[in-house]
Amino acid sequence: MTSSNKARLSLEGVSKTFGTNEVLKDVGFTLEGGTVTGLVGENGAGKSTLIRTLAGAIEPTTGQILLDDQPLPRTAKAVIDAGISVIYQELTDIPDMSLLENVLLGNLDARAGVKRQAENRRRARAGLERVGLGRVDLGTPIRELTMAQRQLAEIARCLIRNARVLVLDEPTSSLPEADVETLLQVVTDLRAEGMAILYVTHHLDELFRISDTLVVLRDGEKVAEGPTSQFDENSLVRAMLAKDLEQAYPYRERSIGDVVLQVDDLTAAGSKGNSVTARAGEVVGLVGLAGAGRTELMRALAGCHSVSSGFIAVDGRAVKPGSLAAARESGILYAPEDRKRDGLVLGGSIESNLIYGDYRQVSRWGILSFRGMARKALDIAQRYQVRMHSTSQPVGDLSGGNQQKVVVARISEREPRVALFDDPTRGVDVGAKAGIYERIFDLAERGSAVMVCSSDTDEVLAVSDRIYVLVSGSIVAEIPREQFEREHILHLSAGGNKSNGTFS
Amino acid sequence: MANSPVATATSSGWKDTSRKALGSNLLPIIAALIIVSVVLSFMTPAFLTASNVTNIVTQSAVVGIAAIGATFVIITSGIDLSVGSNIALSGMIGAIVAQSTGNGFFGIATVILVAAVVGAFNGASVAWLRLAPFIVTLASMGMARGLTLQVSQGQSVYGLPEALNWLGASAIFDVKTSALVTVLLFVVAHFVLSQTTFGHRIYAVGGNAEAARLAGINVRGVIFAAYVIAGIMAGIAALILLGRLDSATPNAASGTELQVIAAVVIGGTSLFGGKGSMIGTFVGVLLIGVINNGLTLLNVSSFWVQFVQGALIFLAVLLDSVNTRRRAGQSRS
Repeated sequence: MTSSNKARLSLEGVSKTFGTNEVLKDVGFTLEGGTVTGLVGENGAGKSTLIRTLAGAIEPTTGQILLDDQPLPRTAKAVIDAGISVIYQELTDIPDMSLLENVLLGNLDARAGVKRQAENRRRARAGLERVGLGRVDLGTPIRELTMAQRQLAEIARCLIRNARVLVLDEPTSSLPEADVETLLQVVTDLRAEGMAILYVTHHLDELFRISDTLVVLRDGEKVAEGPTSQFDENSLVRAMLAKDLEQAYPYRERSIGDVVLQVDDLTAAGSKGNSVTARAGEVVGLVGLAGAGRTELMRALAGCHSVSSGFIAVDGRAVKPGSLAAARESGILYAPEDRKRDGLVLGGSIESNLIYGDYRQVSRWGILSFRGMARKALDIAQRYQVRMHSTSQPVGDLSGGNQQKVVVARISEREPRVALFDDPTRGVDVGAKAGIYERIFDLAERGSAVMVCSSDTDEVLAVSDRIYVLVSGSIVAEIPREQFEREHILHLSAGGNKSNGTFS
Repeated sequence: MANSPVATATSSGWKDTSRKALGSNLLPIIAALIIVSVVLSFMTPAFLTASNVTNIVTQSAVVGIAAIGATFVIITSGIDLSVGSNIALSGMIGAIVAQSTGNGFFGIATVILVAAVVGAFNGASVAWLRLAPFIVTLASMGMARGLTLQVSQGQSVYGLPEALNWLGASAIFDVKTSALVTVLLFVVAHFVLSQTTFGHRIYAVGGNAEAARLAGINVRGVIFAAYVIAGIMAGIAALILLGRLDSATPNAASGTELQVIAAVVIGGTSLFGGKGSMIGTFVGVLLIGVINNGLTLLNVSSFWVQFVQGALIFLAVLLDSVNTRRRAGQSRS
């Protein structure tokens, strides 16, 4: 990319109103070729709407977007052709198709309707090389690649379409920590090539590492803009939340009681002979790289899938392993990692989603009390600070963080003996994270045993009383809070102790 | 996008249900029903008479009752293609049992039992064997029709005991019992779907089966129950058909499944699952009934009636798809 075709994308006074709801208010900033602009804001601040405006998916109510001083075309396809590509949080690839077909999706070179194989392979290869995937076999079904490789393939797809402006929406949210580096390196390389990049994320540390400029949105308004060097974590959080964040992850001293959960030698898909305990009032963290078996262990404990061997007891009473019903009966409740796929019925109302699986408080003889449901839901929504219009609104209309609050609330409000929270703050902004953990601590204080895991190790360390470190499906270490040592733990989870064969 | 502060709004149950029932999917179809009715009453004076109106409900009884069951099934994101064959099979076996024992009540019990067994077969295959509903019920549609032909040797069974004919043949004050039973069943089914925990679970399973399972809903049990209900409804429809014809014929109700699915889909129930209402199905059944009746009164060929039904399904599915997409677009902000 030569300097002459560097793009310049400017937003001028962009506003967007849905009904009476003003989602973007007079937002203006400029993306320059060869720079990375970081866009931050709480869930619901208007980031997604802004991205969809750039993608041509929605039109601003007022204001304009100029690409090289020309108004942005009006259709999504024309926007792509003009050189603006958006990479969304969720992968948009087609799992059963090959890497080649995926990166050339919608862009296959053909003559008279016949694919030009050699030319296609050459173009795919060129795009993939720029993202460091030059050596992966083009015929591999994309489902067999890692999440990071698939994410990079999406970027390659944009490069092949000659993108000059790249919008990345939470590109690292589903990546394991080790792969985040790879992605950030690719972004840095693309910047050097002259790409104009808008980088949207909740991970502030990533922004400080790669962005040149920061734009902060709050309630649809641009509240701060400037060179990244003018910000530090505190000032950025203050701009986002309009308040100081005492501590990103509150930790509270709790009195820890008797053993509630006792698990011996649990073996299931992705979990090998693991023994764990959790006490009343305790928050136990699971630490491990992606694929280390955090989710698998939780799901095995919760009875989400079959268990080949092992013993589980709650309050000293044995629980039939591998049975969701038995686990729930004994008080083990699980909040799944992927809220959209496994956690919520998105078309269902907020009150319905809070009630699924337990109708005791809101029904009599099988007949629902809608009044009771609404009252209960409103009470919960207020305590968990769910931002919404009404409890009968579809939960799918809420922003990610607020959806997550609904998932956490459904589990916590059942007063489980054991609550398993699988990445409860995934894709949630820093302000909402603290709120979610406050509620989880409340639950522990009421005497539940709590287990959490997260893709963010620092977060787990911040909130846990004790952790288990997992490497390829097995627990390799158990560490109490007094002995938390970040470097040592990261070393362990990278398999550091395996080489000398001692499992501590 | 939810930029409002923490909400203080609350919603009352009945308002909520009626709003759901009269949601955007339903208004066009109610409007269509009214327009078609008004047009027909101008075109043929015979249309808007009390006797013709009850006639429409009576004629819609078989499709209507089967559509009640289909609504449960389709909201779980399933489908039941076997309903027509099930009506024929349960009716035939019930008629044979009634004739050979001379006891109509045995016949009634047999009809319901056989129909429920077919429903249970479908439900168990979908819930526990995890087979695709379309394929399972396509298979049971073939099996049930084959069994019907085998047990009857292709012959109709005539002259049934009075008890067996009662539901389809009797009348209470000039109104056919079948019409009253249809309306009654719709009222009950609407209550079950909108006001009970079972109905709530049906929507959850259709909306997102995995989320429902992890939230502690017995997804398999709910799916099984939906198909068994569909089976039992087919049995009741079979009783009406038996009584109306005073006979069981091996090719009875063939093609009924299309009218049933049409009525449900026209009524705003989404084939993607998780969305729909019994009121919608009722209006859908009436619309099909009114069109059938009107075209008959106007002496239009029954071939055109089939064409119109097909076109209605297309329009309904189009509407469903457009609505789903529009909503998805809105909520992704």
